Amino acid sequence: MTTTELDDATLVGRARDGDVRAYEQLVLRYQVPMLRLAVKMLNHRGDAEGVVQEVFLGAWRKLAQLQDDSAFVAWLYCSMAIRCLNVIRARRLQADVDLELAEWPRTDGQPEHAVQANGQLEALNAALQQLTPQQRGCWLLRDVHGRAPTTRSPRSSG
Amino acid sequence: MAVNETGTDYELPCGRIWTLWDRLDSADEHEATGPHCATARESLLALRAATAELVAEPEAVPPGLLGRIMSAVRAEARRGQMLDLLPPEPGRAEVSEAAVAVVLRYAADSAGDVRACRCRVRTVGVAPGGRGIVEVELTLAVRLGNVDGAETLARVRERVTAAAAARVGLTLAKLDLLVEDVYEDGE
Repeated sequence: MTTTELDDATLVGRARDGDVRAYEQLVLRYQVPMLRLAVKMLNHRGDAEGVVQEVFLGAWRKLAQLQDDSAFVAWLYCSMAIRCLNVIRARRLQADVDLELAEWPRTDGQPEHAVQANGQLEALNAALQQLTPQQRGCWLLRDVHGRAPTTRSPRSSG
Repeated sequence: MAVNETGTDYELPCGRIWTLWDRLDSADEHEATGPHCATARESLLALRAATAELVAEPEAVPPGLLGRIMSAVRAEARRGQMLDLLPPEPGRAEVSEAAVAVVLRYAADSAGDVRACRCRVRTVGVAPGGRGIVEVELTLAVRLGNVDGAETLARVRERVTAAAAARVGLTLAKLDLLVEDVYEDGE
């Protein structure tokens, strides 16, 4: 029973009905961009993977609250950005030391690629970490993920 | 980029910074050759190139991530009510509404030119011999340009009814088909 060619809204409608396979297709489709956003936001692959898991599970739990199936992806990005900001806030509370020292442990999960990356990309990655978390989120959403950052989440009843 | 937490104004002495980013590919003479604009434009082009690299940068997804997510999802699967299959043999057999819905949606998809969306299944009785009787409401999206809508829906009805009996062992007392959306090829 393949659902690989179905559009997002159809898969979301089915997932809302309890169709786990349809939801799995959505996870397959969006796990890479979600992980990419989380890694760049948190600069830590382990934390990023944890957040991706939480966001997808949270979205599954709250699917019934989503009023517009076509808003699922925007909702997912919004949840991811908020969750990442919460993680950063929690780090800040936990560390209670200089933000620059505590917040951004340099952990590159792909050393082989890091070697290949040119100076400009490295400079951009470094510059990203100089932004505030909110600024970084806005920039990543708009320029890397092609999303228009909003201050409100897509319509949901919850 | 023109984001700064201190609110510092990035405007160039010539006052053009905000138009540069939008017109990187169509700079006028001033933007291309002016001492301030040309320098800023060069930096923005470098930023755009680096951004493109960042977008294209491969993101290795750990092989177990999907499995971990789906394990957690399955643990909280919404299976809906259980429908009693009432097998003729001793013992009990039940199937979840969600499982029945998957089968019926697949049957509808196989009719062509439609995509099944929501599927509600409700038990309304038991037929002689023990087979469960259900009512189903199936929401559909129809392919835009489909010229034989009535035939398509008749095909859906036929396949869903057959699948309910042959694949799940249920009798359809009523099947409501609701066309709620359309889609285009490749969508």
